[in-house]
Amino acid sequence: MDKVKAIKDDHRSVDPAAVEMLRIADREGYSNVWERYEKQQPQCSYGQLGTCCRICSMGPCRIDPFGEGPTHGVCGATADTIVARNLARMAAVGSSSHSDHGRKVALLLRAVANGTNTDYHITDPDKLMAVAARLGIPTDDRQQMEIAADVAKVAIDCFGNQEEEPLVFLQKYMPVKRFERLKGLESALYESTGAKTGFLPRGIDREAVDILHRTHFGCDHDPLSLVAQSIRSSLSDGWGGSLIATELQDILLGTPTIKSVKANLGVLEEESVNVVVHGHEPILSAKVAEMALSAENRQAAEAVGAKRVNVVGLCCTGNEVLLRQGVGMAGNESHSELAIMTGAVDAMVVDVQCIFPALADLASCFHTKFITTSEQAKIPGALHIQFDEHHADVIASRIIKTAIDAFPNRNKGRVYIPKHTATAVVGFTVEEILKALGGTPQPLIDLIVNGTIKGVAGIVGCNNVKVQQDHFHRVLTMELLKRDILVIGTGCWAVAAAKAGLMDLSAQELAGPGLKAVCKQLGIPPVLHMGSCVDCSRMLNLAGAIADHLKVDISDLPLVGSAPEWTTEKAVAIGAYFVGSGIPVHLWPLPPILGGPAVTRILTRDAKDVLGGWFFVEEDPVAAADQMERIVMERRSALGI
Amino acid sequence: MKRIFVDYKKCLACKACETACAVEHHPGHSLLAALCDHKTQVNVRVLGIDHEAFPLSCRHCDPADCLNACPSGAISRDPESGAVLLDASFCKACAMCAMVCPFDAISFKVTHRSQYNRDVAYKCDLCNERIKEGKNPACVEACHSGALVYAEHDSLRGKHAAKSLRTYLLGAEGMPAHVELFRELRRKEFARRRGDE
Repeated sequence: MDKVKAIKDDHRSVDPAAVEMLRIADREGYSNVWERYEKQQPQCSYGQLGTCCRICSMGPCRIDPFGEGPTHGVCGATADTIVARNLARMAAVGSSSHSDHGRKVALLLRAVANGTNTDYHITDPDKLMAVAARLGIPTDDRQQMEIAADVAKVAIDCFGNQEEEPLVFLQKYMPVKRFERLKGLESALYESTGAKTGFLPRGIDREAVDILHRTHFGCDHDPLSLVAQSIRSSLSDGWGGSLIATELQDILLGTPTIKSVKANLGVLEEESVNVVVHGHEPILSAKVAEMALSAENRQAAEAVGAKRVNVVGLCCTGNEVLLRQGVGMAGNESHSELAIMTGAVDAMVVDVQCIFPALADLASCFHTKFITTSEQAKIPGALHIQFDEHHADVIASRIIKTAIDAFPNRNKGRVYIPKHTATAVVGFTVEEILKALGGTPQPLIDLIVNGTIKGVAGIVGCNNVKVQQDHFHRVLTMELLKRDILVIGTGCWAVAAAKAGLMDLSAQELAGPGLKAVCKQLGIPPVLHMGSCVDCSRMLNLAGAIADHLKVDISDLPLVGSAPEWTTEKAVAIGAYFVGSGIPVHLWPLPPILGGPAVTRILTRDAKDVLGGWFFVEEDPVAAADQMERIVMERRSALGI
Repeated sequence: MKRIFVDYKKCLACKACETACAVEHHPGHSLLAALCDHKTQVNVRVLGIDHEAFPLSCRHCDPADCLNACPSGAISRDPESGAVLLDASFCKACAMCAMVCPFDAISFKVTHRSQYNRDVAYKCDLCNERIKEGKNPACVEACHSGALVYAEHDSLRGKHAAKSLRTYLLGAEGMPAHVELFRELRRKEFARRRGDE
């Protein structure tokens, strides 16, 4: 395939659009993430090993990994304590970012339900009923808004729950056997050690604050206890904050349906006003996409000589509007600078998470308006248009107008849009998958049992400059398909797969004979786009549906996960809630844990027995696929299939 | 003669040596004074050579090409410590020394040793005053991981040989296993970026 050929062309990216844009970047001297990475070399290994502690002012302390220099921090912390504390903080930040996103959706649903917000509506009443039923909220003979208010209340209460019981969303969504296993684990650990260790999250906010507390100077120093709390906080994300974000966004903005879209920088249009939405929260981006279509804005665009306002997505907010509104997908994280370098972006609108601050400087080299909107993500050099969901229509319109006003300043001589796009069939929510299967997971289970499909791999996001952009995503995905393993996933991985044409129906040909036949029969690609990174909760839900249907634990199923180009603390939380849910997870690049041998052992070995999920690291995509297949086959034989 | 030896496999690229050097050579002898001071000189740089890091500074060669090349007599050798020293007041910034240096260990700018705010050559002085007091050079003192050692070559050689032979002959452990793994994974990461794998 020509996709593979591109690998040798540029060590920075396998994406042909990226390679073209990087030639321009090199020629013009535009600063970019790859160039800044080179300037950071060599990077400190204490940080990469996780053995740098900056928690108190007696430090910073570093542990000599060769065992000849200092073996303890000033306070006496060992390498393992330092590594575990740093990891716990990463998990707390990651789960907080996802969950805080969910909180805003829950608050918005409450505002819509009590009528204080009229800019948003209940777009999917069926989903509202389904979520209410799942939560045990009565629906018979009740007003829609009453039910919505109850759903919002349950969700909001999950954040601030002060009781010892696990949070309600987790109780209602986690498969029974998994819940029992974690509960049993808590009591078994209490009995054997006499010390309390928790895995089931109580309140979403509480578990993150718990980590901030226990990693404060002089608190928890036990690697196992710190890792357990990291898993607990992450589970409060996967079965709490992220799940709430997904479910309630579906209610407010509509549950995504299967649709065909275009992906890569070629979705930018030379003759249109191009607005790139970048970040994570669709509450804003969905409105921007909606307002772009208003008659008023269309006329305003035509008045400045543009064909239309073309809203395209980038990163996960892109995934959200792609799945719901079918807009084009400009690219994933590493494409964010490249998009601006095309000179054809009139406005890049960002909300929160994964936004390079470098975009502000880069945008200033062009006519591009770089617009920040969130109280939580302000960037020096950006134009800040404060978003407020109570005036969403007006603000989204103002953003569109800002882009239209910028369009006449576009220097046509500097515009270069790489002509690459790929078609992708996307929008495989749990609802859509079950619908395609006839309403129950049974047909999928049958296919797995009879070996037509060996198992399912869930791959999640990010690009990481340490890995050639999309290379690991592509090769790993193609290798798994070949082995009749269905690949599902979210985030920047999903964008990578879409750009590579792996979500096109023609990708069926890349699959092994079993998977290929199934995909042909159902008319689906062998690689399923399930959403943004908070939508990893959809993967948990699918795994949960199968587990409950078979009355087994998730850890019994032939499922495996991977985060092959991971970058963010959110990815740490996702990986940890997969592991806590009983799914083995492959990681690359190396997480900052190798400096702590005990932590490394807990995460890569002991977790297997205790949780049924564990982490493993592999640098080579083919070897990673081998290992993932091996895990799937082991689990199949354990099930006797 | 004692020298600074670099056990590059132990260099973790933390750059503590660079900071310590800056503080040592600043007239204020404090980090706060050295920060944001354009005249602050750093005589050692941790270079990244793929996955390896190497703290590079003047190797105090003997004979030293820079010393021979300097037309203004600014470079001399302290016979007692063996340090190749550069007297900024004689330096005319002609850069002959930099051109002949095999390690690129000589830089130019206005330092606190410059006369009349002129650019001058600057380089590692082996912390000549410190070593004469029996102390280690500042960079060696700052190194946490044992990558920098100030010692007689003979004594070091003996230790190296004994350690390696212990591994080969007795099967004793060399580098800790998780560090070996870390190095191996980093090597692969860089090799792939170069396109070798």
